[in-house]
Amino acid sequence: MTSDKIGTAAGLLALPMLALGLFLGLIWAPPDAAMGDVQRLMYVHFPSWIATALGYLTAFVASVMYLVRRDIKWDHWAVAGAEIGVVFNVNGLITGSIWGRPTWGVWWTWDPRLTTTAIMLLTFVGYLVLRAFLDDPDRRARGAALVAIIGFINVPIVYFSVRWWRTLHQVQSSPNTVDPNMVVALRVMMVTFALIAVYLMTRRFRLAALEQESERIALAQEEQAGGV
Amino acid sequence: MTQVGYIVAGYSVTFIVVAGYTFLLIRRLRAARRGTGGV
Repeated sequence: MTSDKIGTAAGLLALPMLALGLFLGLIWAPPDAAMGDVQRLMYVHFPSWIATALGYLTAFVASVMYLVRRDIKWDHWAVAGAEIGVVFNVNGLITGSIWGRPTWGVWWTWDPRLTTTAIMLLTFVGYLVLRAFLDDPDRRARGAALVAIIGFINVPIVYFSVRWWRTLHQVQSSPNTVDPNMVVALRVMMVTFALIAVYLMTRRFRLAALEQESERIALAQEEQAGGV
Repeated sequence: MTQVGYIVAGYSVTFIVVAGYTFLLIRRLRAARRGTGGV
C-alpha cells in the first residue's frame, strides 16, 4: 500500500504545481527572441520527455529486477513504466510536431532525433503488444523483460543523437544561455510531469496486480471445474 | 495558423492525452477492483 500512498501524494502535489507551471509557462516567462510565443510549447514538450524517460527507466530497472529475482511485482512495475512511457512518448512526438511546423516548416522529418524517438515508441508499443499475446504469466514476464531491456538501449541513443549526428533538432539547451524565468517555468513543469508520471505508474502497478489476481482466480476455477 | 493557435493545439493535445489516459486508467482500476473483490 506504500506505493499507493506515494502515488496519491505525488498526484496531489502535481495539481498546484501544474497550475503554477501553466502560469509561469504561458504568462510569466518571456517569449523567445527567435521563435516568439510558439516556444511556450517547450513547457509541455520537454517535460513529456522527462516523464517518458522516467517510465522507460522504471520498465528497464524493473525488468532486470524481475529476471534476477523472479518476483512478479517487478513485472507489474515494468508494465506500469512502459505504458506510462508510451503515453508521454506519444505526447512528446505530437507536441514536437506541432512546434516543428511553425519553427522548421514541417510537421515531421526523418531527422536522427525524431527517427530514434519514433523507434523507441514502436519498441515499447511492441512490448505492450507482446504482453497482450502471451497468456502464461511467467513466459509473458520473461519475454517482456527482454524486450524492455533491449528497447531501453535506444534511450541513451535518443539523448545523444543530437550530439552524435548533424541533425535539424537542436542540442540540449544550457540554463546559462536561457532567460532565468524560462528555466524556472521549465523546471516547474518538469517536476510536475514527473509527479504525474509517478502517480500514474503507481495506479498502473496496482491495476497490474489486480489483473494478475483475476488471472489466478480464473485459473483456479478452471482447474477446479476440470477436476470435478 | 497563428502562434497562439499552435500553443492552443499543443496544450490541448497534452490535456487530452494525459487526462484521457488518467481517466481510462482509473476506470480500468475500478473495474478490476470490482472484479477481484478489492484486492
